[in-house]
Amino acid sequence: MPVYKLHYFNNPRQGRAELSRLILSQAGVEFQDIRFAHCEWPAIKPTTPFGHVPILEVDGRVLAQSNTIARYLAKKHGLAGQDEWEEALADMYADNIHDLLNAVAVPFVEKDPVKKKELYQNFMRITIAPHVAAVEKQLKKNNTGYLVGNQLTWADLAYYAYFSDFLEVKFGSAFLKAAPRLKALIDRVKALPNVQKWTAYRDATYPEDKE
Amino acid sequence: MLIETFYRQIGSEIVTNKSFKFSMPVYKLHYFNNPRRGRAELSRLIFSQAGVQFEDVRFSHSEWPNIKPTTPFSQVPILEVDGQVLAQSNAIARYLARKYGLAGKDEWEQAQTDMYIENIHDLLNAAAVPFMEKDPAKQKELYQKFMTDTIASHVVAVEKQLKKNNTGYLVGKQLTAADLAYYAFFSDFIEVKFGGAFLKDAPLLKSLIDRVKALPNIKKWTEFRDSKYPEEN
Repeated sequence: MPVYKLHYFNNPRQGRAELSRLILSQAGVEFQDIRFAHCEWPAIKPTTPFGHVPILEVDGRVLAQSNTIARYLAKKHGLAGQDEWEEALADMYADNIHDLLNAVAVPFVEKDPVKKKELYQNFMRITIAPHVAAVEKQLKKNNTGYLVGNQLTWADLAYYAYFSDFLEVKFGSAFLKAAPRLKALIDRVKALPNVQKWTAYRDATYPEDKE
Repeated sequence: MLIETFYRQIGSEIVTNKSFKFSMPVYKLHYFNNPRRGRAELSRLIFSQAGVQFEDVRFSHSEWPNIKPTTPFSQVPILEVDGQVLAQSNAIARYLARKYGLAGKDEWEQAQTDMYIENIHDLLNAAAVPFMEKDPAKQKELYQKFMTDTIASHVVAVEKQLKKNNTGYLVGKQLTAADLAYYAFFSDFIEVKFGGAFLKDAPLLKSLIDRVKALPNIKKWTEFRDSKYPEEN
């Protein structure tokens, strides 16, 4: 088994390394979950290929870009889809989440609490609500309970991480009321034994950041 | 070239699929009629370099409100493959690159190719900010900041990786979609817009994008494209 070292800020849930941690956990693969404080970043930054994290070390070789890392691990450990078309669909869903992470960064980094609240409200209404409707439609079309094909892929883990482990925790489940299939999917992922094992360990070891 | 592509496709179908189709898929790539800077250009370059026919469907911004609800996630580009639809520019590019031998030789090279394509995706997102700015004075300031803050450090980092890889290509020893992505962004967008000064300390990157620019299939595509779709200002 390769030696995996995943490097990221010590941001518990909302980080761009969480998907890779979920993939490794679901696949039952050991990895070194390296987290550093923001004050350590200036010293670490120049050691990365492109000045950003997460990075993944695999037996000493380095890979950057959160979705590249996640995709590499998903493919290696059977969570990427069953043929090249399914792989492409899983990529598509992971890229959707990447866009949503970029979009939520705007309210996330806003310091003024009043403006922040307004930005989050607009975000939920203008960005999240249409996307939930669109995904619900795709889930209905696929009709297997999974986003891609008829089994779990990293796409499902990506949607769980974002919609349940971030949005649901932050805003409650109201935004899922018209999306029973998406809700069922994220509940199914949440209940997977390896995912439960990981989140229990993670929550005990790294209590959630208070904003 | 066509025969080679045909056999290469059959070869990869036999290896990867249990049942292989004899015919080439029908590809329709849908995007705004934005000539160069669009997020569909990488896929067009992959098709062109691989010598694969595709329908290059372009629509105007006034048509978008009607087209939007027909897409899976209200975004373009989308790729139709024999009627099935794929969204997300990088998912499309990666799918085509893997199908047509431009994605690296093994899973590690594939990952590196992905990494570079995602770097460009981040840079496109960053460039969108000045690109969309309406006020010309503010736009000029934002572009300058973009060049000095974002582009300069990335060019240094990529030059270092090119030196380390030492093959003239970003990944492994041959052309991949990563090289096409860097060509599209750095030459076909940045160099056209700002000139080549930002490349003066990056001879390896400069030589890579010049090499891609000169590839026969790339030249064929860009000449066709530039005469058919004159550049937007």
